[in-house]
Amino acid sequence: MPDRKPVESSDPAELRPEARPGARLEARPELRPDLPQAPRRARFDRALVFVALVAIWIGLATVLGTYWVGSPWGVALRLGSGVWGDLWQALAFVLGPTWSDSAVGGMTRPVNLGLQGQLQGQILVHASYTLFEAVAGFLLGAIPAATLPFLLRRLPIATAVIDPFMVGGYGAPKLALAPLFILWFGIGIASKIALVAITVFFIVYFSALAGVRALDARLVQMAQVAGASERSVARHIVFPGAVPYIFTGLRIAMPYSIGGAVIAELISANRGLGYLIQLGAMNFDTTGVFVALVATTCIVFLGNWSVDTLERWLLRWRPPADTKAEVGS
Amino acid sequence: MTAAAEPLLEVRDLGKRFAGRAGRDAPAWVIQGLSFSVNEGEFLTIIGPSGSGKTTLLNMIAQIDVASSGMVRFQSQPAPIGDPKALNPGLTCKIGYVTQEDNLLPWRTTLQNVLFPLKVQGRLNDETRAHAETLIKAVGLAGFEKHYPHELSGGMRKRASLIRTLVYDPPVILMDEPFGPLDAQTRVQLQEDLLRLWNLGRKTIIFVTHDIGEAIALGDRTLVLSRAPARVAGEHVITIPRPRDIRGIMGHPDFGTLYQSIRAQVQ
Ligand SMILES: Nc1ncnc2c1ncn2[C@@H]1O[C@H](COP(=O)(O)OP(=O)(O)OP(=O)(O)O)[C@@H](O)[C@H]1O
Ligand SMILES: [Mg+2]
Repeated sequence: MPDRKPVESSDPAELRPEARPGARLEARPELRPDLPQAPRRARFDRALVFVALVAIWIGLATVLGTYWVGSPWGVALRLGSGVWGDLWQALAFVLGPTWSDSAVGGMTRPVNLGLQGQLQGQILVHASYTLFEAVAGFLLGAIPAATLPFLLRRLPIATAVIDPFMVGGYGAPKLALAPLFILWFGIGIASKIALVAITVFFIVYFSALAGVRALDARLVQMAQVAGASERSVARHIVFPGAVPYIFTGLRIAMPYSIGGAVIAELISANRGLGYLIQLGAMNFDTTGVFVALVATTCIVFLGNWSVDTLERWLLRWRPPADTKAEVGS
Repeated sequence: MTAAAEPLLEVRDLGKRFAGRAGRDAPAWVIQGLSFSVNEGEFLTIIGPSGSGKTTLLNMIAQIDVASSGMVRFQSQPAPIGDPKALNPGLTCKIGYVTQEDNLLPWRTTLQNVLFPLKVQGRLNDETRAHAETLIKAVGLAGFEKHYPHELSGGMRKRASLIRTLVYDPPVILMDEPFGPLDAQTRVQLQEDLLRLWNLGRKTIIFVTHDIGEAIALGDRTLVLSRAPARVAGEHVITIPRPRDIRGIMGHPDFGTLYQSIRAQVQ
């Protein structure tokens, strides 16, 4: 029969709905833009939902006042001026006096535009700190997590031995680790990267493990008969077969990595979007908090898009609407 | 067919049963007391009812599955019995196996799939590449080299998996219903191609089929397996001389008698 189902296993990753390969795809079909139902209709409906959400937001801001809920235009203005301030500075840095002393440069100087009061910190600078922490932690966690199941493939006993510890690590609330990491790694960037890395590690480990376990034994046998060495089998059969599963883990881990960085900054930092949230809250500056939240969301979208693009390129061999390999058992 | 003193492959009193699952009844013997031998250069066809253990038998000959009892000897070397770890799949590229399912790698294109054995054997060069392209053309897959398996039809996948084995030219080839899902025209075409190839290279072929006509048309000898547990229910030397005209084989005077006697044994 041409449909080959992944081998059933008592893998903990399959017991947790959010870690089960495909669970996320079922829940969020919009993450698969190549699905047939995704096109124009969905885009239109999405715009409609966005408008509705903004309308609710405006309603809340009007009824409750901007002290409780920052108004959308206030947030947009602050975000825009913050970004412009950063860009202006960047241009001044790159082009020097040619820019800052030019007519256009002078006119658009944030102070001259009357934006100075609106400017909250430097949005792009803070966002790039958070982005850096998230990306560094993501790579630091995901790469060993994706590699480990391949190393353990021929060692079922070792896998079984570490399994309960991995399940424990997966289940432990990472937020509770933040104060500990700050104690160990200081309030700088290292503690944030560590928190992100450990969060990402367990998610990706279990998805890669599921991928290695879903290996089709018949493909391995075919390759061995054709003369493939153990290394060739790992490289040409096991790895490509596990890639869809690894990506399921990466997609789930990606927002966690940004969330993890922001939360670590919230607890203790003097830069980053989490710091901006904290700063805004301390000054009863609701709009400032909203600005940082919107910026965080934008980074999540950016991350999602990157993972999507990479996945679509790596998995171009898959039939467009085929979720078989992921939905599985 | 010059019968060598020592057969190339010898199967004696072979038995196979699969490990039972917990809570299920004890494992039954799928194959029991199966004996036959194959000479070098012979074209053996095997026919038997569905579920009689033909695939299981080929798996044991190719050493991707382990026998439970008895003996399988290839070039006088016995295969391990009962110990899956000691298996040597494909006997170091001496036995090629066209499996019942195509087992194409979904992440490789048709051409990449066909080249796969050459690549892992480190034999990929201009000459072997050209050979692969010739084979692709011969089975009518030209123009589909860059397609992924999910973009091919069932019959096309089957043909791709067939030439993936032919491309590295193993001296012995096992084929498990290779022409099953093909239309009559393509089927006859490929049967002719296979016979031509066999004539050229003097390969040894063990060919499993459900089709009595195909078994007679291709083989030097046909083995009929019984229902499980599989045994040899009958053996027929196909006397029809070569080269054979596959399209007109049914008109041969011996065909009818062979067909009837094989049919009587395939329940
Ligand atoms: N891995 C396995 N575990 C348990 N039983 C198996 C396994 N593989 C095959 N069998 C059993 O062995 C018997 C023979 O199977 P096999 O696939 O060899 O039949 P076959 O002759 O190739 O049939 P078909 O013509 O339909 O391909 C069947 O009853 C099947 O249920
Ligand atoms: Mg079979």
